[in-house]
Amino acid sequence: MRAIANSNRDLTQRQRKSLRVWIIPFLLSLFAFENIGCSSAKPPTGILSQAELDVRAASEARADELAPMDLQSAREKLEASKQAMAAKKYDDARRLAETAQVEAELAAAKAEAEITRRAADDLRRRLDPFRSENERATGLPSSPVSTKE
Amino acid sequence: MKPNVFLDPRCLGAALLSLVILSLGCGAVSNPALQRARDDYDRARQDRELVRRAGVALDRARLTLDQAERVWTTENDVVETEHLAYIAEKRIEIARAIARRRMAADDIQQLNSRQ
Repeated sequence: MRAIANSNRDLTQRQRKSLRVWIIPFLLSLFAFENIGCSSAKPPTGILSQAELDVRAASEARADELAPMDLQSAREKLEASKQAMAAKKYDDARRLAETAQVEAELAAAKAEAEITRRAADDLRRRLDPFRSENERATGLPSSPVSTKE
Repeated sequence: MKPNVFLDPRCLGAALLSLVILSLGCGAVSNPALQRARDDYDRARQDRELVRRAGVALDRARLTLDQAERVWTTENDVVETEHLAYIAEKRIEIARAIARRRMAADDIQQLNSRQ
């Protein structure tokens, strides 16, 4: 009886030891899986090239003159992205390139909006004499054109 | 009798600890940058003129916002979430600029038709 009890105890201790042997690698692999994204970044060359093109396109859309703050910020992010790339900090490089890209797009969109608004204002000024004449003839003001932003 | 390892308190403790580690990122804790971007998007969505003139640009902002929310809830990655929230906010600004340009273009068309 005692021999059976002893063999049972030995078996339990062996199982516990083997369990301990397995738990540590299990927890380590769990930790590795959770952090796998931190070490698997690739160089974001495509995003960086696209960001460079977007910054140039914004510059061509007169963003230097009409949305200087946004374009300047985009250029700074682009430079920072190149530096992060050189330092092999690929996640930082990707985020900075994506930020440069969206800021350059915003600069171009603001510049285009401003160019169109100025064109509308010019046309309105040129048409003003006609509108005044029209108002005098009909006795009614012509319908206002929305200039709301 | 063969002992049941699943009833071993140490084994159960290790399993519970693993569950806690895994579920740490799943809490419904809010992220201020993400909340700000979501509020900004909701405000933009209520502007009928903006939706009408720059709906596609606004949809792009929503896709980025969805991505930020996914990263926050599944990975709890603060840096990536805040980055995506910032991109979403910029996309909303782009939608506003596009709407302004289209409104001015409509003005030009309207003025030309009066000539």
